[in-house]
Amino acid sequence: MAIQVLRPSNLPELKKVLRTGAGKNFRFIAGGTDVLPQIAKDDIRDLTLIDITGINSAGFFAVKRYSGGYKAGAGVKVDDLITNKEIGLHYPVLKEAALSLASNQIRQVATIGGNLCTASPSGDVACALMALEAGCGISLPAGKKQVSILKFFTGVRKTVLGKTGLLLSVDIPQNHNKSRQLVSGFIKVGSRRSMECSVVSLAFHLQCDAKGTILRAGIAIGAVAPTIRFARSAAMYLEGKNIHEIREMEKLEFAEKVLGYASPISDLRASDWYRKEVLRNICFELFDRAGK
Amino acid sequence: MKKTVKRVKVKQEESVSLSLTVNGNRHVLKVRPAALLLDVLRDVLKLKGTKPGCHEGECGACTVLVNDIPVNSCLYLAVRAEGKKITTVEGLTGPGGALSAVQNALVEEGAVQCGFCTPGMAISMQALLNTHKSRKKSGRGTKSLSRDDIKKHFEGNLCRCTGYVKIIDAAEKLLAQSE
Repeated sequence: MAIQVLRPSNLPELKKVLRTGAGKNFRFIAGGTDVLPQIAKDDIRDLTLIDITGINSAGFFAVKRYSGGYKAGAGVKVDDLITNKEIGLHYPVLKEAALSLASNQIRQVATIGGNLCTASPSGDVACALMALEAGCGISLPAGKKQVSILKFFTGVRKTVLGKTGLLLSVDIPQNHNKSRQLVSGFIKVGSRRSMECSVVSLAFHLQCDAKGTILRAGIAIGAVAPTIRFARSAAMYLEGKNIHEIREMEKLEFAEKVLGYASPISDLRASDWYRKEVLRNICFELFDRAGK
Repeated sequence: MKKTVKRVKVKQEESVSLSLTVNGNRHVLKVRPAALLLDVLRDVLKLKGTKPGCHEGECGACTVLVNDIPVNSCLYLAVRAEGKKITTVEGLTGPGGALSAVQNALVEEGAVQCGFCTPGMAISMQALLNTHKSRKKSGRGTKSLSRDDIKKHFEGNLCRCTGYVKIIDAAEKLLAQSE
C-alpha cells in the first residue's frame, strides 16, 4: 500500500468517495501544512488523503458578507484573512491571529478549515474565531448543521466532526450595531517571534460604544487547556464597564477569571506554572491596547 | 520433486499524470500520487537549485513560486501543481545567464555565506518584489515597506550563518531601486 490522493471535484463526489473509494484509512487534507509533516514524521505509508481543495464551489474559498456578518468558506487561506480589508476593519483579532501564524509561505496555503479541524490547543486562527464566537457550518453523514465554535472542539486534536464530518464554512457574527470602538487583538507568546507555536495566547474582541462602554466582549485563550477555551465569566465581567475607566483591582479580578479557564500542562515548550504567570500578565496587556 | 515457483505479484504503486510549467517550460510527467513538488523538481526534473531542508515548512530552503505565490515545496503535493506555473531559483536568471535584480542585490550586498538558504531567500525576495510592484501599480500601497516589514516577510526563511543583516540590506536596496 502507499499514500493515495483522491481529489473530489464537488460535494456529491466527495460523499461518493467517502462511501466507496476511501476505505477505512483516510484523512482529509486541505493546505496540508499539518498533515504532510505528520506523515513524514510518523513514517505513515498506508493512507488515503482526500484533498478537498479541488472542490469546485465558490463559497468554499471565499469570504462573503451576509445579513448576519461574514461567512468564510473552510477553504479560505489564512493569507486571505490578512489581505481582506473588511476583516481587518471589523475583526482586528482575526487579522492579528492570521498574521502571527507560521510564515508567509505557510499562510499562502494553510486554510481556516485546517486550523480549526486540526484542533490544536494552540491554533491561532481558531483562538481568534473563538473570541468572535463564530459559528461552524458542518456536514455530517446525518446532514448539514450549524454548531457554535464553543462546542466544536471536544479534546486535543478532536472535534465534533469525528472522522467523516466536514467543516464547510465559518460564520463570523456582525459586530453590535452600537459598536463604535473596538479593542480587538491577539497576543501570542512563544520563545521567539517567528514560526512559533504559542506557549500562551489570548484573543480578545471588545465592542464598545462611542463613550467606551463595553457592549459585548469575547475572550479566548490558547495553549493552556486541552482545547482553546472561551472565558465566558471573564468576558461577562467586562460587559457594561467602561474600557477607559477600568481600575487596577478590576483588571486583577478579570485576570483571575481568565485564569479560571486555564488548566495547562508542562511540556517541552513551557511549564504549567509559567503558562499561568504569562497568561496573567498578558491579560493586563489587553487594557494597554485600549488607550491606543 | 517438482519445484513449485510461487509467483508474487508486486503491486506497482499507481502513478498519476501531471502537467505543469516550470520556469517557462511545459512538462508532462508521471508521478506518485503523494509526490511532493520538491521531489518532482529535484528528482524528476533534476532542478537541484531548490533545497530540501527540514521537510516541515520551518526553514524555507525549498521555497518556490506557484503562480507567483511563494510556497514551501516540501509541503505541497505535486498533483496540486497541475496546470500551474512554477518558478524555481533557476528560473530567476535571464537569457544567457544574466543575473536578475534579486540575484544582483544578493551578490552586491554579499548576502550569501554557505549558500544553502540562498535559493529560498532569492525566491522569497522575488515574491516580495512582485507584491511591492503590484501594490504600487494598483495604487494600494503608497508607503514604502519598513525594515521590520521586510523582516516579517522573511520569517519563513531560516539562515544559520549570515545573521540576516545583509539579506535584509539586499531586500531594502532592491525595493529602493524599484521605486
